[in-house]
Amino acid sequence: MNGMPEPVLDVQGLSIDYEVGAGTFHALSDVSVQLSPGRVVGIVGETGSGKSTLAHAIPRLLREPPARIRSGRIFFQGVNVLELPKWKLPLLRGTGIGMIFQEPINSLNPAYRVFDQVAEAVTIRKLRESGVAPTLFPSAEPHDYSRGTRVKTGEAILHAVVPRVPNWLPSARREALMKDVLDYLRLVRINDPETILDLYPHELSGGMRQRIMIAIALSGKPSLLIADEPTSALDITIQAQVLTLMKELMDEVRTSILFISHDLGVIAEMADDVGVLYAGHLVELGPVDEVYTNPRHPYTKLLMRAIPNRYKRAGPLPALTGSVPSLANVPPGCPFHPRCPLAQKICGSDPGPVLEAATGASVRTHLAACYFSDEVASLP
Amino acid sequence: MITPIVEADHLVKRFPLARSLAALISREPQEFVHAVDDVSLEIYPGETLGLIGESGSGKTTLGWLLAKLHEPTAGQIRFEGRDITDLSGRDLLKWRRNLQVVFQDPVGSLDPRLRVWQLVGEPILAQEKVRREDLKSRVAELLQIVDLPAGVLNQYPHEFSGGGRQRLSLARALSVRPKVLILDEPTSALDVAVQAQVLNRLVALQRELGLSYLLITHNVAAVRYVADRVAVMYLGRIVEIGAVDEVLERPIHPYTKALLAALPKADPRRRRARFRIGGEVPTLVHPPPGCRFAPRCPFVIDRCIAEDPPLRPIPGRPGRAAACHRAEEIGDVPPEQLLSSPENPASPMTTSAG
Repeated sequence: MNGMPEPVLDVQGLSIDYEVGAGTFHALSDVSVQLSPGRVVGIVGETGSGKSTLAHAIPRLLREPPARIRSGRIFFQGVNVLELPKWKLPLLRGTGIGMIFQEPINSLNPAYRVFDQVAEAVTIRKLRESGVAPTLFPSAEPHDYSRGTRVKTGEAILHAVVPRVPNWLPSARREALMKDVLDYLRLVRINDPETILDLYPHELSGGMRQRIMIAIALSGKPSLLIADEPTSALDITIQAQVLTLMKELMDEVRTSILFISHDLGVIAEMADDVGVLYAGHLVELGPVDEVYTNPRHPYTKLLMRAIPNRYKRAGPLPALTGSVPSLANVPPGCPFHPRCPLAQKICGSDPGPVLEAATGASVRTHLAACYFSDEVASLP
Repeated sequence: MITPIVEADHLVKRFPLARSLAALISREPQEFVHAVDDVSLEIYPGETLGLIGESGSGKTTLGWLLAKLHEPTAGQIRFEGRDITDLSGRDLLKWRRNLQVVFQDPVGSLDPRLRVWQLVGEPILAQEKVRREDLKSRVAELLQIVDLPAGVLNQYPHEFSGGGRQRLSLARALSVRPKVLILDEPTSALDVAVQAQVLNRLVALQRELGLSYLLITHNVAAVRYVADRVAVMYLGRIVEIGAVDEVLERPIHPYTKALLAALPKADPRRRRARFRIGGEVPTLVHPPPGCRFAPRCPFVIDRCIAEDPPLRPIPGRPGRAAACHRAEEIGDVPPEQLLSSPENPASPMTTSAG
């Protein structure tokens, strides 16, 4: 990685188990991903492949127990978040790592109005920026996308000591934050944001709620944004609107994004790099164009061919036989070998293939965990 | 002329909204959710009719109406030419063996306290008296049809994966040897790989058993593969209907174009185009006057707001019907025109006539 800027996020050999009554589930096994500033890395996988575990592990949102981090390191801006004491973790979130969840109805507070929820995120960021609240990471400022004036440190301290407006008055507090809140709501292309400020989340449509989620995440000016299936709960035309919005914001904001989705189409639209998860193993990682046009892992290739893109008269869909293994009982060696048409004896023995530059790939950053990656192209 | 196996004739379904006491006292008029509004369609023997629409378009309500699970507010349903709109009691029960539904939610629609043989055999028991041993062997046959091992007879539904539960629902629906299956989002809870298996099974079953399907889904890819004809629903109306390849390759109605343009393509070389249809789906309580898509339509003219376009056959397009005043003018506009690339943002939306 010579000459490359220091990665914002560097996950090294992360293994996570869930220990529950029914046994131990290996949700992630030795997963390594890097995210350079301004890049969008997509993670794609089926249900139970561990993609949400990865998304929640990075800002330490997993409940431990039942989750147990068996090994690995997660460096965020050079700090290993797995070694942070528990009380410091909230300092990481919001201004350091922002998060967009799948179901905005579950992640917005039903008892607070839109204004208060956005204002809370703005307030926290401002307090941290001005030095009033402690922070671990100064927020990234690649672009002033609030288009508002930044609070100068001196001023903020002065205001905290000698407030010009009595800011314990709710109305005064609201006025002070109003401009920022409206700016962020306009940033996510909500027309007439004034009209929704006093609504509760349940009064909004799904697409609108997800926009507010995005506004809240961006108002912390995080240097890393994790989007966990942000559009899976939305209708197709609304999904297209939100994806278009996120794409435009990516150009304006240049935050690094970890984009999790089960939808190969959504990842193709959004990501620069893509990682493919199968049964907790990262089986392929590389630039999205390369991985989609020239897959080097049999699972990636077969998964892409399973997308229905033909009419009935063209014959049956090339289906993947069998089913995803239970995470309590992941096959030894390569986890895909029982279903793989290229499998040989060596594939079933531990330790399995490691993620390395794939033979037959046209760029060096295209990695695959397969002994026979040069033969994948010959698969039908 | 083949008689359709299922025919819907100007079906209407309105659900009354709950009213507050104050509204009752002040005699405010009752408001309705116009879930299905004047829909007519036919399903022919042995064919699959796909029904695409987003949430709130009324597609599930329409399926339930055809299955006689809702009473229509107005209109008629015919099965093999016979009016079944007012069927009830024993007649309705007997008729039900002709048409079965595979429900959307394979977790919620399978009783967690029944074993597989009881679950799958339940519809058979509703129709006839069968001895337990015979029932078990018939269920075992059904399991074989849907690619489940016969050893699962005594298991409970929670022991199955999503795909397995969907197969159980399918076996349950097939147990009374119906002629028509209504498939309500059969694969939306499934992963791509499992979805392909289930879709293949559905197509093969149709060939083997000569079934007719109504496939209700928002998943255009599934419809493309399974359907022969497709109807597109928006806000309780069918806006376009026709042969599946025709509708998906050369959509006429602006909503169909928007829907197809909005699909994310699993091909990174074709991205960077931006979607240009704004707005949200309006509520079914106060549907907009005139064309229901007019508030979001890039091709809107004054007439669209004033006058509700009927679903009408389009000249020069055999077997196609669309509900759009400007169908002839804009019929050939490709869906990609509803997208714009960041390099080339503005292209005029109004097309020159002719």
